[in-house]
Amino acid sequence: MVEKKTLTIMLASAPLGSQYADHMCRVALRALEKGHEVEIFLYGDAVHAQMNHQSPKLFFPVGEKLKELVVKGAKVYSCEICSVARGYISGQLTPDGKKDYSSTKVLDGIQFTTIFGFVESLARADKVLSFGGG
Amino acid sequence: MPKLVIEIIHGPYGRENAYAGLFIAMGWVAVGNEVIVALHGDGVYAARKGQKDPMKEISLPSVEKQVMDILEEGGRVIADRTCIEVRGLDKEMLIMGVEVLDGDDLVELVFKEGERVITL
Repeated sequence: MVEKKTLTIMLASAPLGSQYADHMCRVALRALEKGHEVEIFLYGDAVHAQMNHQSPKLFFPVGEKLKELVVKGAKVYSCEICSVARGYISGQLTPDGKKDYSSTKVLDGIQFTTIFGFVESLARADKVLSFGGG
Repeated sequence: MPKLVIEIIHGPYGRENAYAGLFIAMGWVAVGNEVIVALHGDGVYAARKGQKDPMKEISLPSVEKQVMDILEEGGRVIADRTCIEVRGLDKEMLIMGVEVLDGDDLVELVFKEGERVITL
């Protein structure tokens, strides 16, 4: 049995335009299969990976794979301001003082966080990988 | 203190990368961690001094201000010497406090300090 470690992955590219999201999903799934903790942060254009009802006919189904990752125990975080900027959520304060992350456009299981949430995930990580930034 | 290296290889404004990388760097140092921003290739333009009011001119936040904020918080911003020289830049043209290192030394530093590395 391998020692359980935490892998934090940043994805910075949208699906379909490049293969980075595909590779990220594959690596994350393998890490989970090997018993590791996986935390994923969707940053910048990568927040498009959280879009509901993606149905690529021939390409790698990133949306489906993200759902599978969540079901298998990965934490999938999405950058709040990147998602507000791209119209996925409003992020407005609700009367009870919380931010409104409700959306019909986003896959179930995606958690929104500010940059400080990502910083905490980075600090927890035993290993950090970044995909699609370069 | 936890350490993070952020590699920036694309120039600011044309792409979001430089802004996005510096944004993470700022978040990381703001909570008391150590950061090194390593600028390679066109990424060195992020450290160019005298970027003229990008918010007013092209509706984009100033990367120069981000670099200054990170330096003020105790972060290190280091440009690759060869990358600045081939672009006709020198240390005096960079924001005060930005370091310049030979490529080999910068790579060695990233290996040494890079517990966590993010490339943007």
